[in-house]
Amino acid sequence: MNRPYWLYSLIGVTAFIAGWIMFAELPAGRPPSSGELAVGGTTTNQVTNDGLTEATLFYTSDDGMRLVGFSSEIERLPEPTAQARAILEAQLAQPPAPLLSPIPAGTRLLAIYVTERGDAFVDLSEEITTGHSGGSLDELFTVYAIVNALTSNLSAINAVQILVSGREVDTLAGHVDLRRPLEADLSWVAQPIAKSILQFNHYSKSAKTRSV
Amino acid sequence: MQSYLVWTSLLTLSLLTVNQAESQTTATPLTLITTERQALLPTVIIDGERMVALSDLATPFGLAFASDQQTSRLTIIQGETVFVLTADDGIVSVGGRLVSLPTPPVERDGAWFVPIDFIGQALALIPNQRVELRRRSELVVVGDVLVPQVVARYNRDGSQSRLRIVITPTSEYDLELADNRLILTLEADALDLVVPEFVPDGKLTELHQDEDRPRLTLDLGEDFGRYTASDNPALGGGTELIIDLHTAELANSANSSPSSDTESPAEAAVTETDLPSLSILSAPPSIRAIAIDPGHGGEDTGTRGPGGALEKDITLSVARLLQGAIERQLGLRVVLTRTGDTTIALDERAAFANNNRADLFISLHVNASVRETATGAEVFHLSLNEYDEASPGSFGLSSQPISVVGGGSRSLDIVPWELAQLRFADQSARWAEILSDELSRRVPMSQRGLQQAPFRVLVGTNMPAALIEMGYISNPVQETQLSSNAFQSNVVQGLIRSIVRYREEVERGVQPPIRNLNSPAENSQTRSVVR
Repeated sequence: MNRPYWLYSLIGVTAFIAGWIMFAELPAGRPPSSGELAVGGTTTNQVTNDGLTEATLFYTSDDGMRLVGFSSEIERLPEPTAQARAILEAQLAQPPAPLLSPIPAGTRLLAIYVTERGDAFVDLSEEITTGHSGGSLDELFTVYAIVNALTSNLSAINAVQILVSGREVDTLAGHVDLRRPLEADLSWVAQPIAKSILQFNHYSKSAKTRSV
Repeated sequence: MQSYLVWTSLLTLSLLTVNQAESQTTATPLTLITTERQALLPTVIIDGERMVALSDLATPFGLAFASDQQTSRLTIIQGETVFVLTADDGIVSVGGRLVSLPTPPVERDGAWFVPIDFIGQALALIPNQRVELRRRSELVVVGDVLVPQVVARYNRDGSQSRLRIVITPTSEYDLELADNRLILTLEADALDLVVPEFVPDGKLTELHQDEDRPRLTLDLGEDFGRYTASDNPALGGGTELIIDLHTAELANSANSSPSSDTESPAEAAVTETDLPSLSILSAPPSIRAIAIDPGHGGEDTGTRGPGGALEKDITLSVARLLQGAIERQLGLRVVLTRTGDTTIALDERAAFANNNRADLFISLHVNASVRETATGAEVFHLSLNEYDEASPGSFGLSSQPISVVGGGSRSLDIVPWELAQLRFADQSARWAEILSDELSRRVPMSQRGLQQAPFRVLVGTNMPAALIEMGYISNPVQETQLSSNAFQSNVVQGLIRSIVRYREEVERGVQPPIRNLNSPAENSQTRSVVR
């Protein structure tokens, strides 16, 4: 039990200092303000000079009672849908211990489609329902990790509707209403967002903490 | 045996008269009506609960006491019936039958206090003796006395002033005009009078009940000229007496017409303005039916504990316990969205509750987390953010005229199925708040005890609704708890107490109103239905 707290705080403190120096005006984790679409489709996320960009991803907290946002580095891509795909791939990838993904292991992104009005339709493989714990809070975390990961990192996306194996679904595990696109809900996220920086390799789906 | 009873009762009564603790305040007394007399029954508020001293119940109910200081236990004997009370325990044994009180009895310096529901729930079980607690009118009715309920509603609509008096059960009455007063005398021992929202006007200035007689007096104002009265069988049994009050000018014109009458109520053609508002045709607001939704079922097992316990089994078990407890203790109608291990769609559950006209909806669930450490109960009500943009206009919410019996028409709001719950947003918030509060006194709560979420099963319910996660089955300790009778009984007690509290608020009229989704101005002639 002690190790995660020790690790979190160390990561948090170093990342905060790094973040302060590098991205002082970056309000990570807040919904993006509309109307400013930067190159690569990202707005709130600082573009680094090595072809990577910052994105906030969401994981289950140590006590299982909330989501925790982590700033992560992912590949920078010019096209919003491609960028959305990269962010989701990173969110679906299993994070390094002690982080725990709120999304059932093995869930794959089958397709993503973004409409002009900013609704993203995310088609996921059936593992997201078959592998789910069935708890209502976990279900909320699964849904809002995906919704928040897209809406808070990409101003081009206002709301997200989750599809499973190409079909609209009522719920993932019997609780959360998925019949319409959902907007970001940061009330499930612990505040303030931990500023740990993870580096995701988009293609190998492995992750490692970035040395500062 | 007899002398022992007398001795113990005297001893206990002397103990009971000892001074009582300071943290209690006096509340309005109940009125006790027996075949012999009417008397006031003092009540006090202790820790927010209205209670009555057992010593005050001894004489009217013929109770004898034997208290055991060592175990904080009190035995009460009434004829053949033995009651066993334990201080700070809400369960009372009545002749071997267990009855749950909303709050435990309190012992203060040897004096015992019980919540006033003790009268209706425990004393009512004494065989061969009728005991009724009528909360609305603050009456305790004991024995073979005739105390009809008299609900009087005064309604002005245009030029018409109409007083509707529903008398249940039907009793003989006499109506007499004397000295600018209309006096309604009933053949009864006492009246259980309910007058919701009386607003006086020029014709009727006051409406009051005689203290010592089963009599209702209507004080008439300056504008009063004459009255017409008629009675009919009421919808739910009993008699409905309709008294129309007319102005002096109308009286003159009526007198000049050849067909002057004093007994026929509604002689003119019925127009929309003559129609009574729908609100006065309906029964006074209360909670009469509860829908319980045992989560999951059939192929949908819900969550599964590390020891193999299934959510669907626990929710059904608690639902059955709760159904029995509500029917036994509160006498309300209960409907279960499933009674066996069957697969039921979420929308069907809401539809079932709607079709059965439930007044409250409780969905029972068991939680699970990827983190084994997560524990505690949580109460959810529907969050609105996800549905806000579905504004009435965009969903085709419309007001449509429909014809009513007797001519005329009324407009009905047509509320789309998807938005049914939105009208009850404020009430559901209060319902969930009470549930969370009562559960927190009996079972461990999570850090997120009261929350809002876009839960599908709640969206279509046309009544105040909440979803309860009783605990985390993913935690081995909680898995054992959730499967145990003791834990399930605690949950049931919390829910029973919540229903009692919510019902009290509804009957006192302090609940937030139903939201009108169609227009800001509430139209009294508008009713809503779910499409």
